[in-house]
Amino acid sequence: MKVQVLFFGATADAVGEKEIKIDLESKTKVTDAFEQIVSAYPNLQKHTLLFALNQEYAHGNETLNEGDELGIFTAVSGG
Amino acid sequence: MKATNSVFLLLFPAGKIEMADREHLNPQSKIQNSDDFFELTTSSLDVGAIARRVVLPECGATVSLDGYVRQWTKGRETLYLVYEAYEPMALREMEKLVEQAHAQFEIASVGIVHRLGKLEIGETSVVISVAAAHRRAAFEACEWLIKELKRTVPIWKKEVYVGGELWVEGEKL
Repeated sequence: MKVQVLFFGATADAVGEKEIKIDLESKTKVTDAFEQIVSAYPNLQKHTLLFALNQEYAHGNETLNEGDELGIFTAVSGG
Repeated sequence: MKATNSVFLLLFPAGKIEMADREHLNPQSKIQNSDDFFELTTSSLDVGAIARRVVLPECGATVSLDGYVRQWTKGRETLYLVYEAYEPMALREMEKLVEQAHAQFEIASVGIVHRLGKLEIGETSVVISVAAAHRRAAFEACEWLIKELKRTVPIWKKEVYVGGELWVEGEKL
């Protein structure tokens, strides 16, 4: 199953990409997907990270589905 | 637009009309929600123009926040800022905040416009305009909205300062 992963600001710099597609076992949880992403891009470990699943804040125990959009980013700093 | 709503209010409970409108929103677009609006733009912001857009006949006061780029932060000199957003999610989070503000404060309409891209010192990065029948609710809602925007809306600033640059990381949720 394919999932689109988006990075912003500090996480985009850490990964060197704004967007990647990853292939996961079906029914993978957000936290498990995240562990795989961090092992591929260890620079992400330097940051405290938040997740969004399909543009809503996620906590990690959600199950991913084909075509989902996973956002990985640092605490926000707009304004 | 308000006049039409008033006619409907005689026939249906107001809450039901609101709910029906919200179910038809397209979260991907720039959001115009009844009298509220939420926008992201790379163009410069005109605070006065945004403030006038929230004015309704039943209102008597608009409070606007004009947030702009500060040169000095704790002795460090900023050269410029670069803002980036998770755009569709940022618009949705702004919309949620304004729904909560309507529930908490006696306000009539809200406009939030956040600028993205490179901003020079003194340029406006965010405008929040809140219109209400009376000023107190507008002041309180505007303060609450900027505090929550800085905490929850997925927008980030890169600070380019004398001697370096960094993506500013806010407080964790």
